Amino acid sequence: MRTMQAWAALLALVANGGAVASDPLPPEQFGMEPLPARTPHWIYVVDSAFMNEIDSRVRLYDADTHGHLGQIDAGFFPGVTLSPDRNTLAVGTTYFARGGHGERTDVVEFTDTTTLAITGEIVLPPKRAQATPTSFNLGYSSDSHFLYVAYITPAASFGVLDPVSRKVLGEIDTAGCVLVIPWGPDHVSSICDSGRLLTVRLDAHGNEVSRALSDLFFDVDTDPLFVQGIPTDQGCTFLSFLGKVHEVDFSGPEPVIHPPWSLVSSSEAGHWRPGGQQLGAIQRRMGRLYVAMHRGGEGSHKQGGTEIWVFDLGTHRRLARWPVATLKLAPVTAVQVSQDEAPLLFLASDSVASVATLDALTGQLRHLDRNLGQTPWQILNP
Amino acid sequence: MQRLDRIFESSARSLAQRTSRRSFIGVLGQILTGSLLIPLLPIDRIQRAEAATGPEGSPAAPGKVPAAAKGKSASKPYTEDQQSCEYWKYCAIDGFLCSCCGGSSHTCPPGTQMSVVSWIGTCHNPADGRDYIVSYNDCCGKASCGNCDCYRNERERPLYRLSRNNDVNWCMANTGSDYHCTVSVILGSAGP
Repeated sequence: MRTMQAWAALLALVANGGAVASDPLPPEQFGMEPLPARTPHWIYVVDSAFMNEIDSRVRLYDADTHGHLGQIDAGFFPGVTLSPDRNTLAVGTTYFARGGHGERTDVVEFTDTTTLAITGEIVLPPKRAQATPTSFNLGYSSDSHFLYVAYITPAASFGVLDPVSRKVLGEIDTAGCVLVIPWGPDHVSSICDSGRLLTVRLDAHGNEVSRALSDLFFDVDTDPLFVQGIPTDQGCTFLSFLGKVHEVDFSGPEPVIHPPWSLVSSSEAGHWRPGGQQLGAIQRRMGRLYVAMHRGGEGSHKQGGTEIWVFDLGTHRRLARWPVATLKLAPVTAVQVSQDEAPLLFLASDSVASVATLDALTGQLRHLDRNLGQTPWQILNP
Repeated sequence: MQRLDRIFESSARSLAQRTSRRSFIGVLGQILTGSLLIPLLPIDRIQRAEAATGPEGSPAAPGKVPAAAKGKSASKPYTEDQQSCEYWKYCAIDGFLCSCCGGSSHTCPPGTQMSVVSWIGTCHNPADGRDYIVSYNDCCGKASCGNCDCYRNERERPLYRLSRNNDVNWCMANTGSDYHCTVSVILGSAGP
């Protein structure tokens, strides 16, 4: 009998993986993980979820730890922006009462970026521009007094919202010009089919005071401007289909449009082009422009970049060409760069849903994450 | 053509002053889906511009389909398979082919609604050597089909040229405005 007991004890020990009996684990406290303090190396990745568009998300990611910090729901064809103090993330979106059908509700939802909790909303008229994400689907005035939302019905206009009292203040007709490029406390510019910018100035209540058209600065027939402009300290930089760089200064009383310069040499023109969804990013401290470039012709303007070209914004000189295939990356559809002293470059791909993190100074790959959604078309800095 | 442009601009401004936005949507829908004449204006301008930019901007050569994104090669032999993204009518599409979702290249799947507004393209049919004006209508009121994601953007233009843009939800003016898939409907020949 003793022998049998000894064999039973031995068998139990083997079945237990050889572990020595110890105290059981203590009961756990169910709770919610607090969000750590943000760093310049966080990014908000806008996943437009193209295969299931009613279910877009914004994913918060820490590129230093490769950690997924949380998620913000973003509905259908969202536009996403951050408040000037970066403490609020505003998502302009649409929900249908019964999933893919039912009553349409257009809404701006506000999320506290220190907790990722929704803090409020403003219900919009059913006019919101349901378009692929850009920096200008919605945006705050520089003093956070107004929030502007682009409308397309298909008539073009924009809504003026009060983000504090959470009210729609009014609507400004933009005569066919689209999107909202806020600058200063009371100006909004929109891009026009005529190749100009329309600028509307508002009073303290959000009513139109004046409007003006800029000089013509691009030709939609020969070399259209991408609407995915890149915000800069002074204004905004736009790229064209054929690789022209149009810098617009919004720091004065009216927009100043500088003479364009080219990303491509005469031998590259027409063969190498910018393309993608968020096709470029600017590191403001270093004055560097990063652009996703590809070889292609007419119709290739949404094609992902096979190379990242790096330019000095002061001299317009190309500093580097980084072929992404050598890093085993898929063509790049969204580009972002952090604004700190040790900047990281973020490259998203929708053909192989992924976000790569590179050293923005050397182009060296640091990490590749394949769990940031199906179509990561826009990346925002915190 | 410039004279026609002026006439069109003048009539559009007059219309905008006389009508509400809701009636504008209805009229625009009729124009885009039913008219052959008015869509000629932007098409003609773009084709002239392409002729000026050289061979990269020229329309596709017969028997070839220009570059499509997402890994598709720059030149492929044409196909009559309407479930293939390479089918000639899909030259300016960016979305799910309704022919893979219960509809056909020009009809919506059962239970969906055809969008009342649309964008247009000009596609070359290699079978007869003609260019055709194509209306791209979304089929609406159900969630994304998800089949046959087709991504070609020939002569597609950014959002400010709305009638040539496919980055916006063209179900926007429908009662059920969720996007399901896209059809391509021949409006007529673009040439003589």
